[in-house]
Amino acid sequence: MSAADDVDDLVVQFQKSGLRELHLRCDDLEIHLSTDSAQPGISRSRGSVPAPVPRTAAAPVAPAQPGTPPRSRATPVLPDGATVVRAPYLGTFYRAPKPGAPPYVEVGTRVSPATELCMVEVMKLFTSIRAGIVAEVHAVLAEDGQMVQADQPLFVLVPA
Amino acid sequence: MGIKRLFIANRGEIALRVARAAQALGIETVLGVSSADRESAAARLVDRVLVLGPGPAAKSYLDARLVVHAAKASGCDALHPGYGFLSERAVLPRLCTEQGIVFVGPDAAMMEALGDKLRARSAARAAGIPLVPGSDEIATAEDARRVADGIGYPVLLKAAAGGGGRGMVIVKNAGEMTAGYQKASAEALAAFNDGTLFLECFISEARHVEVQLIGDGTGNVLHFGERDCSVQRRYQKLIEEAPCVAMPDDLRSKLHAAAVTLARSVKYRNAGTAEFLYDVARRSFYFIEVNARIQVEHPVTEMVTGRDLVQEQLRIAGGDALSLEQKDVQLTGHAIECRINAEDVDRGFVPVPGTVTRWEPPEGSGIRIDSHISQGAAIPPFYDSMIGKLIVHGQTRQRAVERLTAALDAFVVEGVPTTIAMHRAIVRDPQFISNQLHTRWLELKFLPEHGAAAG
Repeated sequence: MSAADDVDDLVVQFQKSGLRELHLRCDDLEIHLSTDSAQPGISRSRGSVPAPVPRTAAAPVAPAQPGTPPRSRATPVLPDGATVVRAPYLGTFYRAPKPGAPPYVEVGTRVSPATELCMVEVMKLFTSIRAGIVAEVHAVLAEDGQMVQADQPLFVLVPA
Repeated sequence: MGIKRLFIANRGEIALRVARAAQALGIETVLGVSSADRESAAARLVDRVLVLGPGPAAKSYLDARLVVHAAKASGCDALHPGYGFLSERAVLPRLCTEQGIVFVGPDAAMMEALGDKLRARSAARAAGIPLVPGSDEIATAEDARRVADGIGYPVLLKAAAGGGGRGMVIVKNAGEMTAGYQKASAEALAAFNDGTLFLECFISEARHVEVQLIGDGTGNVLHFGERDCSVQRRYQKLIEEAPCVAMPDDLRSKLHAAAVTLARSVKYRNAGTAEFLYDVARRSFYFIEVNARIQVEHPVTEMVTGRDLVQEQLRIAGGDALSLEQKDVQLTGHAIECRINAEDVDRGFVPVPGTVTRWEPPEGSGIRIDSHISQGAAIPPFYDSMIGKLIVHGQTRQRAVERLTAALDAFVVEGVPTTIAMHRAIVRDPQFISNQLHTRWLELKFLPEHGAAAG
């Protein structure tokens, strides 16, 4: 039985159970089921500390129909007024100007249009990505030193 | 003594070029690759391949200890650094010496002396070589303004440890100095971990000329004529020619003599290039820097001299005396090289990695292709965007341009965007054809006229 079938079964059981909300975490898989479509999913910040979106976060499946394939690794649900900053091209994502230096920004950093968020490098061409707006960093979606694809979301900015 | 087994500490076309030169001399070859280059053309050609590490250069080609360890462990008695990567870092020859491995290039002390632009300027001044009017190290923006006021604007701020245009800022007037100084110093610090600056008079319409040199380390130095590399974008050369037909013969002789005098004064060993700016209007040339390695554009010199510079490097490193005298270096005809880069010219020259689905380079007499690419070859995202060099030779510059035009038209590459289409337009431009060029011609005239994003 595949993981997708497991998730399908889980959705069916959840709907039969009468539960309003189910949150399950197993190794690097995280699933959040809810009957309330207004309910925030995993990718939203909880509590007072905004959390980066886990790489393996599943989109909220709510309300799900039996047999509907679960959406996996979909775009995170964005807070109101959020802006997604994307990679200009395929390349390596750098959060700091050089190894060992502090990151340009962290979650919660207030940024202005000229604030550098990161660098993307492909074949020795370094491009600094700037915020472009006045905002606050809500989430960092890529890992330092990793390859990112063209147009891959890198940061979520929200109105400060 | 002679080299028996050579470690090639590079990738791409130059790794292939060095491997072929070594094999022609009967030298065994070992190549250190990143995991992204296991299937490369050079990896298929050499006798043995060692995987240094993963794709990112910092963990493979740029790790000097790892590279020298691999050379030692594979029983190599010599190491060729190619160009780029570690080729101009003194740590590489130093580690090689520690391990009893011959470095194909100058020793660490000379590399340090020539790699620091301020020290290279001092050496040139001591040898009586004309320098671009400028300063020694400058400590503050105020000092820079004082020097610039004396020289006259515009001036060019440069990083002492610099290269490749990083840490270089043009300052047009005194009011721009503070901002320019801060920008150049910050760039230099970020790129070279050294924010030291100096400044030079900015010659707005200069040609870039450079002299190919080979020394044996005892003061014997030969020159192989000069190259003209005035077609540049952001201080990166795109087209190189030999000889520089825009320079009158008497001045060319003086240029060669200046370069040889400089190299002799430091007892230069192996292949190197002395770079100069040529102010056509004033009929003057000025020393800029020395590149203590084989250069990308060395094939144009090989095409007009008929000499194999990489083989000569290996012979000298192996302890041989120079195999020829100055009178044996005779120039015939004209050669031009176009660098073919995997870049999207219409999107500001952004490099584009990918897979080459079709690769049909031109063939014929007077045409040379230096490339590691074939159909199906992968262009990894980690390294330089140059995927090959097209070099042509003709009896005159005009013949060479005609041959180059036909060769570019026949060159088919699919799978990634390349700079070939831009080269086709350049070689048809009246100013290129009439050789009315300077180092900013491409950016200031050609690209705007052709509607390409200057980037």
